[in-house]
Amino acid sequence: MYRLIIRIAWASLNRRRTRSVLVVLMIAFSLWGLLFMEGIYDGMTEQMIGNAIRSGSGHLTLSVKGYRLEKDINMLIGDVAALDRFLAGDPRVQTFIKRLRQDGLIATAHYSRGASIYGVDLEAEKIHGRLDEYLEAGEYDFGRKKRGAILGVRLAEKLKVGVGRKVIISAQDAENEIASAALRVTGIIKTNNMALDETAVFVADQKARDLLRVPAGVSQVCVMVKNEEDINGLQAELRQRFPELEILRWDEIYPALMQGRVMMEGFNLVTSLLVFGVAGLGIFGIMLVSVLERLREFGIMMAIGTGFSRICYIILLESFFLGCAGCLAGGLLGGATLYYFYVHGLDLTVFSEGLDVFGMDTITYAIIRPSYFINAVFAVALATFCSVLLPLRILKKARPVEAICKG
Amino acid sequence: MIKGRGRGAKGLRGRGMDFFLEIRQVNKIFRTGRDVEVVALRNINLAIDRGEFVVLSGPSGSGKTTLLNIIGGLDLAGSGTVTLDELGITGLEEKQLSRIRRDHIGFVFQAYNLLPVLTARENIEYVMKLQKRTQEECDQRVNEIALKLSIETLLAKIPNQLSGGQQQRVAVARAVASKPKLILADEPTANLDSKSAGDLMDMMQRLNEDEGVTVIFSSHDPMVISKARRSVILKDGEIVANDLSG
Repeated sequence: MYRLIIRIAWASLNRRRTRSVLVVLMIAFSLWGLLFMEGIYDGMTEQMIGNAIRSGSGHLTLSVKGYRLEKDINMLIGDVAALDRFLAGDPRVQTFIKRLRQDGLIATAHYSRGASIYGVDLEAEKIHGRLDEYLEAGEYDFGRKKRGAILGVRLAEKLKVGVGRKVIISAQDAENEIASAALRVTGIIKTNNMALDETAVFVADQKARDLLRVPAGVSQVCVMVKNEEDINGLQAELRQRFPELEILRWDEIYPALMQGRVMMEGFNLVTSLLVFGVAGLGIFGIMLVSVLERLREFGIMMAIGTGFSRICYIILLESFFLGCAGCLAGGLLGGATLYYFYVHGLDLTVFSEGLDVFGMDTITYAIIRPSYFINAVFAVALATFCSVLLPLRILKKARPVEAICKG
Repeated sequence: MIKGRGRGAKGLRGRGMDFFLEIRQVNKIFRTGRDVEVVALRNINLAIDRGEFVVLSGPSGSGKTTLLNIIGGLDLAGSGTVTLDELGITGLEEKQLSRIRRDHIGFVFQAYNLLPVLTARENIEYVMKLQKRTQEECDQRVNEIALKLSIETLLAKIPNQLSGGQQQRVAVARAVASKPKLILADEPTANLDSKSAGDLMDMMQRLNEDEGVTVIFSSHDPMVISKARRSVILKDGEIVANDLSG
């Protein structure tokens, strides 16, 4: 009997091919739109977060307690060797970098700006956060004599300097004296991490130490883990082993980014509800017409002894077939689109000014997560199921003779 | 005997009667507007024996179809009782009525009403499939009926590939295939030409004799009425004549 029910459902859909194709297209395009939006929006958010983690905080940032409130050059992590040993030996740690940082001033002949001076090891930064990939102009190098500086793009714009120009950096050293050095701009980076793009001046670690008279110790250590699920565990262990240090996760350092991610999830949910609300209404309309149009047929089936449950199966199967076909088509289309933008990225250069303000990249790479497809299939199943409830109710209320007459 | 629960399930045999179908004091009123009432059936009393070949005749609007619908459990009587093979079907729930229709009653409709997406063979075996008969049983029965009704060559066709007469023969085959105790046919010849109508009635007569099935059909065609062995005439919802004509 079930084979016959499947046959009736399938043949009924086939008999109204145009309408069936229309419903399938409606589901497919809704699904495609949903997958596309989810993938791109998540891509934007994750890129923003990724930029901040790679160029700034890492997954975990370590500094001495109180440093974040008062960034004093004397508030340094002293026992770097112990930290080095622990981090180098922990299998959860992918990479870590050490930075010396002091706030100061950067000036040209015409302009001056507040700046954050970072003493860094460019090779370590390259391995850690692929800092070299953010290079907008010049070279990822401090020059042969290490007298170069790499500036954030916004800072360079404000100072109106380009690669090769000379700048003077000055800051208070460890002995509370004003120290300054003349450097030549060797590179300009654009990380889309606003804090860095607007204030960062990267100089060679040794140059910074000489300038600030800090022979040892670091201001901050940034740690990248292999698996994000290990962040909390590693943070707890580090806190236990190094109680004198403040150890913060990226989301504690950039709470706005975390809020952005949560907001985007909410936005995606609302968009999904809207898209499938509209699609559900479309499917509902078509299924309602389909059932009302065949009321006589269902009346005859009831008259010759078909139970209501079997008629339910037929209608549910029809919507199931439509939902499956729509899911398959939409999933393939959406998957292919997401894959394309995952590889090539979505070029939003026309909106670059606006995106820059929010620290977003102009080329957004989509993200593909199995959860998109699972959620979408669930949403389609729910929408198609809900869309046949009213038609079934109408049918249940009708006696066979009424159904035959109404049909 | 039909198994089931319901008013009148005790039947009439205990009171000395032995009818297959007993209709007592059945009334049916349709309300078409707020205060508009149409009396479709008025105090109908009718008893039909097993194996009878009965025609309900009368002018349009006399209540033939309504009476057939009530006998078949497709519609509810306003009052009165209908007892089919010792089972009172009045007051049963739709689920129980559906089971009775599936197992004991075959329907032939004026407009054939075959399922348009199924082939003639699938239409004929449909009720048997509902009864969970095996495919082998279905095939055997379909072939047997198809031979009797001369529709062997039509079995693979879908309804819109068949003429009206062919569709009605398939509809009759569907009605008798599951070996029901009662066949109800509502103006089965209304859409057929006189030759096809005559052939169909001959066929139904043969089935009635061969299979022993009780047949009640409605018609206002004198040629068709003449084929019945008993004629019940309705007028304005009342039985005005109840004769053995055969």
